[in-house]
Order: sequence, then structure tokens, then C-alpha cells
Amino acid sequence: MLDSVFIFSALALGLGLVLGYAAIKFKVEGNSLVDQIDAILPQTQCGQCNYPGCRPYAEAIASGEAPINQCPPGGQEGVDELAEFLDVETLPLNAENGETQPDHVVYVDEQVCIGCTLCIQACPVDAFVGASKVMTTVIADECTGCDLCIPVCPVDCIHVLEIAPTFSTYVPNMAEIAHA
Amino acid sequence: MLNQSFNGGIVIDSPHPVEVVEIILAPLPDKVVLPLQQRIGGEAIPCVSVGDKVLTGQVIAKTDDYFCVPIHASISGTVVIIDDQTIPHKSGLRSKCITIESDGKDQWIEHTGCGVDFLHCDQATMIKYIQASGIVGLGGAGFPAHAKLEGIQDCHTLVINGTECEPGIMCDDALMQHHPRDVIRGVEILLHICGAQRAVIAVEDDKQEALNSLLMHCHDDRISIEQIPTKYTSGAEKLLIKVLLGIEVPSGKFAIDIGVICQNVSTTKAIFDAVVENKPLVSRIVTVTGSGVKSPNNYEVRLGASFEHIVSMANPNTNHHSVRMGGMMMGVDVETTRMPICKITNCIFVNNIETKPNTQECIRCGQCNQVCPVNLLPQQLYWYAKNENTDKAMDYNLADCIECRCCDYVCPSHIPLAEYFSFAKALHRKTTEDQYRTDIARERFEFREYRLERTKQERAKMMAAKKEELKKKMANDKAQKGKIAAAMARVKKTKKVSDDVQ
Ligand code: SF4
Ligand code: SF4
Ligand code: SF4
Ligand code: SF4
Repeated sequence: MLDSVFIFSALALGLGLVLGYAAIKFKVEGNSLVDQIDAILPQTQCGQCNYPGCRPYAEAIASGEAPINQCPPGGQEGVDELAEFLDVETLPLNAENGETQPDHVVYVDEQVCIGCTLCIQACPVDAFVGASKVMTTVIADECTGCDLCIPVCPVDCIHVLEIAPTFSTYVPNMAEIAHA
Repeated sequence: MLNQSFNGGIVIDSPHPVEVVEIILAPLPDKVVLPLQQRIGGEAIPCVSVGDKVLTGQVIAKTDDYFCVPIHASISGTVVIIDDQTIPHKSGLRSKCITIESDGKDQWIEHTGCGVDFLHCDQATMIKYIQASGIVGLGGAGFPAHAKLEGIQDCHTLVINGTECEPGIMCDDALMQHHPRDVIRGVEILLHICGAQRAVIAVEDDKQEALNSLLMHCHDDRISIEQIPTKYTSGAEKLLIKVLLGIEVPSGKFAIDIGVICQNVSTTKAIFDAVVENKPLVSRIVTVTGSGVKSPNNYEVRLGASFEHIVSMANPNTNHHSVRMGGMMMGVDVETTRMPICKITNCIFVNNIETKPNTQECIRCGQCNQVCPVNLLPQQLYWYAKNENTDKAMDYNLADCIECRCCDYVCPSHIPLAEYFSFAKALHRKTTEDQYRTDIARERFEFREYRLERTKQERAKMMAAKKEELKKKMANDKAQKGKIAAAMARVKKTKKVSDDVQ
């Protein structure tokens, strides 16, 4: 148990370092419009917008190729924000792209996992760690809740965990304050 | 009497004054409900199960979290259920709670501490006792006492807060009047732990009795007792330090950063019990007051007893009531009196229900700006908070707001300003966290793209190299084949020649 914790921590640390390095080294000078649109998108990287990630969708919006209402994780609020930023009429969220889900992450039922590593390949943000034919697990802090890994799992051992407000993360409801 | 003060703040007369401040010992409750959620950190993990017999003071839940203290059984009896219950918190969220049914015996665990001759104990041992006894700030903040005391380097002054945090509350007053000796000894213990040269006990000037009884028991010339003007929010740590010592704690810093440690008198008394006897904190003094009770008073009651348990002792009238935990200013409204009393429950307000005046638009009168004790501009902040412009609000030092509600109190439009500020702070924290998460996700996504691209290119390179090799090999093979064919032809030729010769 302890050694696996150690191995995973070491792995996470190592990967983190590589990432940090890569972020500095491979920083691409971006088109600032695309960057700004990308900053509004939720970075769930789920592909529900019909693009392979938030940035490709941002590029498509910037070039006028795609409408602004295709991102379900961003929700109507996200669409409105994009409309405001781009100074265009806002649109209702396109239902064909999917529904907005509550905030969540996923976790692997490690007893059932067979270590096929299909989920590792599916995850757009490399939130999995694990070993082939042994088991994988999700780094909850890094999971965006895109759900791409759920359908690929052959033994259905990836489950959704909703992020409920806790005593330290709860935000009061402003509508209630205003009518108090 | 000191004449230093701070800008703002308000003078509010005690809403329900009493003739004599008493402490009435409440009877043992039949059952107690002990929440596992503490003010800071995660939920504690139960170390008893349903059906277990427990003794008073026995540890029933704990965590490894440094900022947490263990949770003790506050009566002896049987654990009857461990489930989620609503606890007095503004979020209305539920926390896991352990419910113990009393056996009526109140049998204690064994406990021995440093003894009355505590000066021979070292600091580490004392701090260990303080944590093990579950001492947190009893003034209302609930910050664990050991965390404030550990690893102190240069502390020159110890400030003991004997001001009642809000008008109407009298539990600290009662404690100073009835247990002055324990308070003074507690201060001596704290001086020993933090190595300060002097301690100042601050008492408000309307608490003459408390001052007298403290003076009678204080024979240590390192300890002085100062009267300060009775003004609301002078009990707030940073403001109290300013009033007493004339030093300002900079924004974003803590008292210890300027060499001061502040503890409340009730906490000090609890520290005395913890160090001398290693006695877990299982009860506290709670003020019950408000327009809905005929005889406001203080009750010493076991933690986890219901509000109802002591409210019923204060002669409530038969009207419908609104119930509030904590003071009239900074308290939290709760739904029912069935909530458990926690370590931070210093007061229960039971009020007749009154219709609240309607909120109006801000008329920009600027009165709120004048009363803010930390010199903020509530009028501006309100504007930003309402429009969820939290970045701007933070620029205007929203983080310094102590949510004292002085601004609400004077606002002629009855705007619940402090609630807006508490909302804006929570929203700001959430957006900052979300931003951090999305940044990580973006970086990781981009890195993965890069990784996939790199793998693709590497693979392409490898393939190219392989192809090249194959080509070479094939060319080689051809040359080889040519050689073989030539050799074969030669052989054939010589064969033919020899045949001819024969
Ligand atoms: S739909 Fe998914 S991938 Fe597309 S922009 Fe929204 S979060 Fe990003
Ligand atoms: S772990 Fe699953 S749900 Fe989470 S980001 Fe990766 S693929 Fe998406
Ligand atoms: S609630 Fe905040 S803004 Fe209002 S007076 Fe108190 S500290 Fe100032
Ligand atoms: S006191 Fe109330 S009405 Fe006056 S400026 Fe402040 S918020 Fe506006």
C-alpha cells in the first residue's frame, strides 16, 4: 500500500516537473483573440463542441467557422460571456451538443479495474496514472469531468463523483440575500 | 483607562441587561449530539461505533490534520447513532454527528496533567495537553489554541481578550466574575508557553465587577488589567491590539507577525484546565438572551446538548421565536432550537419574530463608510459585490472586512451589506480556485497535444529510418544476387568448356 502511494506520488511529481518545463519551453506565441476566447471556455476538453478540445473550438470561433453555443460544460452562462466578449447577439445553448452536467470528477473502482489502460489513452488531460495489466487511478485534482474515459472502460469501473459544496467551499445564494 | 481608539465602530447598549451576572449549572442532558466537522479542516473520523459505552472525556473521533483537535464524549453513556445532522452553520449544510445517550452517571476518564505546580512542565508538553483536551478559541472564532501557540519565536506581549465580542453576550463577563483565579493562572501558563514578558487583560469599562474580581486575584506584576471603552468591534483581535498597544497589524498579516498573541478569556480558562488537569473541554458557558426569554442568563452546559435544553431554563415566552447562534450582529440564524451547542456557541439569542424593514436602494448617504472599523468603503464594496465584480471588490480590500455588520446597522436603507460581502468573498475564493483548475487543465491538454505530436513525429522518423535501411538492404541484396548470378554464370561457363573438352 505504502509503496504504491510512494510510487504514485513520485510519478505525479515527476510528471508535474516535466509539465512545468514543457509549459515554459514549448509555449507557443498564440493569436491573442484565440487565447482570449480560450480563456472563457471551461477547459473541460470533452469534445462535445465537435472539436477535439477547447482550444480548437476557440480557433474555430475566432475564424468564424463555428457558432458560440456549442459548449455544454460552459453552459448558457459561458455562451453569454462569449457573446459579450465578441460583441454579438447571444444564442441559446445548442441542445444537440449535450446538456450541462453538475460539477464532477470521476474515480476508478480499483477492485474491478483490469489495467487495460484504455482510459489513459482517452483522457485529454493525462489525469490517469497506472500500470498496464495492474490497475489505473484518477488524480482527482486534475480530472476535468469530461467523461471521455467512461465509455471506453470495458469493465465499467469508472464512476462519477459529484463535487458537493462543503463547509469551506460553500457560496451563499445572492438571490436569497437580496430578498432577505 | 486607555484613550487610544480606532475609527468607526458603534456604541450599542446591551439590548437585554441583567442585574446580576450569574453562571447557572445546567443539568446533565439526556443525550448529546457531537458534530465531527470543526471550524477548520475536514471531518474527524469516529473511533467508536454504535452501541459502544463511553466515558465523559473519552476521545470519540479524531483526525491527523494538524489544525484539528480530537472530539470528546461530553457525557458518559452509549453511542446510539452516527449520522448526518444539521449543525448551526450559515450554509445549512449537514455534518456527520455522533449521538450519545446518557447513563446519568457522568463517569469520567482518568486524566492527570501538569498539576497546580505547572511551571516545571515544558512548553511542548503543555501544548500537547492543550491539543489533546480539544481547546479551540471559545470567543466564537473556533481557531485551535495549540496551532496559535506552537513554534512561537518572538512574542513580546500576550493580549487576553476579556471584551465581550458583542452587545448582549455576557458569558466572558460571567467567567471573569466567577472564575478570576483560573483566568489569571491560565494567563501565567500562556506567558510560560509563549515566553512573552507581559500580558494585558482587556476588560470593557462597563464591566466593573469583572475588573474588581480579576484585580483581587492578580498578584503577578507581569500581568496588567486595562479598561477600554465599550464600543462594538473593539473585541476584534486587530482592533483590540490597536486600542491596547497602539500598534497596527498590517492588512494580510497576523498578530503574531508583530509579536503579539491574542487569546480570549474563556479559552484561557480552558487552557488552565487542560494544562493543570489535562481535562478535556466538555462544557462551556453560554448566554441565553433576547426578547423571547424573560430571564436572560448564563448557563454552563455540556457540549452537544440542544439549544432547547438551556433555552427552556431562561423562561421563554409562548410567542413564535427566531433563534440566532452568536451575537445580534455577527451571529447565524438557525432554524430550530434542536441544534447542538458547539464549542463556538457563546450565545443564543431567542427573539420574538418581528417583521424586518424592507430593503431599499442605496441612497449614497455614506454613513456606512464612517462606521467601518477597518476603514473600508462599504458603499463601494456593495456595488461591486452586487454586480459580482469580485476582483474590483478585492482591490478595495474586501479581504479585510471582518463582517462585523456595523455598516448594516447604520444603513438607513437596511441593506444587508455584510451578507453581500461574505457572498463576494466566497465567490472570489471559488472563482480563484476554478481559474487555477482550468489553467492546469489547459496546460495539461496542451502538453498532451505536444506529447502526441512528438510521439507521432518520432514514429515517423523511426519509420523513415527503417525504410531507408530496408532500401539499403535491398540494394545490397541486389548486388549480392548479381554477384551470385555472375558466379553461377561463370560456373556454367567453365562447366560447358570442360564438357566441350570431353
Ligand atoms: S465542449 Fe468541451 S471541449 Fe468543447 S469547448 Fe466546451 S469544454 Fe471545451
Ligand atoms: S479522468 Fe476521465 S473524466 Fe476526468 S478528465 Fe480524464 S477522461 Fe475526462
Ligand atoms: S461588515 Fe465589513 S465593511 Fe461593514 S463595517 Fe464591518 S468591516 Fe466594514
Ligand atoms: S449606509 Fe446604506 S444607503 Fe448609506 S451609503 Fe451605505 S449602503 Fe448606501
